Amino acid sequence: MKQLRSNWLYSLILVFLIAFPFIVGALTESSPTGVPRGDRMIMRGESVRWQAVLIEVFILSILAMSYNLMFGFTGVISFGHALFFGSAGYIIGLALEYTALDTGAALILGSLAAFVICGGVGLMIGFVSLRLRGVYFTIFTLAVAEMFYIFFSRFALTKAEDGFAVTELPVWLDPSQSRLTFYYIVLALFVLTFLFIRRLVNSPTGAVFKAIRENEDRALAIGYNTLRFKLMAIVIAGMLAALAGILQVLLNKKIGPEMLSVGYTIDPLLNTIIGGIGTFAGPVIGTAGLHLLDTFFRDATLVIGGSTIQVANVWGLVLGLIFILVVIVFPQGVVGTWQSWRLKRQIRHLESRMAVEPSPAPESG
Amino acid sequence: MPNPILEVRDIHTFIGQFHILEGVNVSIPEGSITVLLGRNGAGKTTTLRSIMGITPPRSGTIVFQGDTLAGKRPYTVAKLGIGYVPEHRAIFKELSVRENLKIAERNRGDYERHTDLIFDLFPDLKRLIDLPGGKLSGGQQQMLAIARALVPDNRLLLIDEPSEGLAPVIIEQLMAAIRRLSSQCTILLVEQNFRMASRLADHFAIIDDGRSPVSGSMADLVNDSALIQRYLGVA
Repeated sequence: MKQLRSNWLYSLILVFLIAFPFIVGALTESSPTGVPRGDRMIMRGESVRWQAVLIEVFILSILAMSYNLMFGFTGVISFGHALFFGSAGYIIGLALEYTALDTGAALILGSLAAFVICGGVGLMIGFVSLRLRGVYFTIFTLAVAEMFYIFFSRFALTKAEDGFAVTELPVWLDPSQSRLTFYYIVLALFVLTFLFIRRLVNSPTGAVFKAIRENEDRALAIGYNTLRFKLMAIVIAGMLAALAGILQVLLNKKIGPEMLSVGYTIDPLLNTIIGGIGTFAGPVIGTAGLHLLDTFFRDATLVIGGSTIQVANVWGLVLGLIFILVVIVFPQGVVGTWQSWRLKRQIRHLESRMAVEPSPAPESG
Repeated sequence: MPNPILEVRDIHTFIGQFHILEGVNVSIPEGSITVLLGRNGAGKTTTLRSIMGITPPRSGTIVFQGDTLAGKRPYTVAKLGIGYVPEHRAIFKELSVRENLKIAERNRGDYERHTDLIFDLFPDLKRLIDLPGGKLSGGQQQMLAIARALVPDNRLLLIDEPSEGLAPVIIEQLMAAIRRLSSQCTILLVEQNFRMASRLADHFAIIDDGRSPVSGSMADLVNDSALIQRYLGVA
């Protein structure tokens, strides 16, 4: 029953997201497919603008969910998640722009290469460093990610810190021509990622992840090679982050070293904490909340007394205040606090129904 | 005396620079309950952790049913058929009772095969099956910790201080359960509560200051108040 109700809510949200481009289109009298000019479509109007906002929410949510798989469900705290995101971006970018392959083949091979390489890098980093525990592992991952960031910031072939643009995509996929199609593709991948993580975490493997998060020695002592499970978590998380990186490059049609910067590690981390560590919806709610706030208020101006303040200039400060507030009001994140409140109610309900005292009578025999 | 299922020979274990075990010898006869007795800090828990490979001994041998354990990782030791119930009710607080049990499966179906026994021993767990382990009372958590060790087919259970911090009625219930379990597998217990230990165990080994000076049958120990006084300091 509980399962049914929560899935019912998810279904409703999904229906809304599917209808979203048309709803915005109807409300603002703009076409969800953009405006035709000659033989191509120009992405102009409120509907396509908001599609882009949501596409980015989906992509960053995939990134946050992948981070949460390691951080929230397995207890592996990495500061190098941007490495997977940015590397995948560079790999797909290089495949599209620097190889002689035609666009379709470059897209497929580039994506495959990105998954394989990011998975492999995850495996290698994990194998070298997962024997380190806690903060040492975290520092190691940060060091590796920063190393790549600095390298690509100066690498002449990929135009150093300017990065390079992706000039050609198949028309059906190109967000600057067929944004509605791209919107649905990213939405589908976002939903699949959500379902995949939920399936994985609720499986016996996921129970081992959670057991490791709580107490690795205990998991070892009941017969689990915990290193193997942590490697599995980091490889899967790395490949999902790669998916997010690929989509980000396709959306922006540009790749630069900023995709490798620590910001793409910190944002999913903060979004996960705000939404709820180790919950399924938490990272999505955190990401959507902050990204939408950003979109709404970034261009706003505040008039206080005689001085006007550009919100964009103080956005970091606002974000910091939101973060502090959320951590105080929702110590387990928005979703986590809600869930523990519901669990408490459930236990009270169970106790009153059973009407048993906590210490049962001794067993006879 | 039946054949020992576990033979610990002269193990030396260090934690950091501290030489905790300075030559412990323990022999666990199959199909009985053996208890490790001794004062706080004598090395009882470290002996169990050395057997499991959590704090691997630097020297000495541990043989379990013909397999040498020293040098093996904890998960390998566990798979050989040793269930470890650590002190402080070591359950997974964030997993449900069912998940806590199912996670101990070594082969698919272990949990289903043993639920009758588990719920028979610990009927409380059945109605709490969907609650997170952390929401259980102390006694229920201890029962869950022991139940978890019953899910796979273990030949030997190492149980560390099951009575710690529990109310007397719960201790009685646990003792009844442990006694019933001993008909199915061998049990090595660490227990501070001498009354409980003396009523439960068939054999004892005293751990004192990292060594194992005396061992034998429990029946002999309860009549030897001088020995009890010397090593345990209880009348």
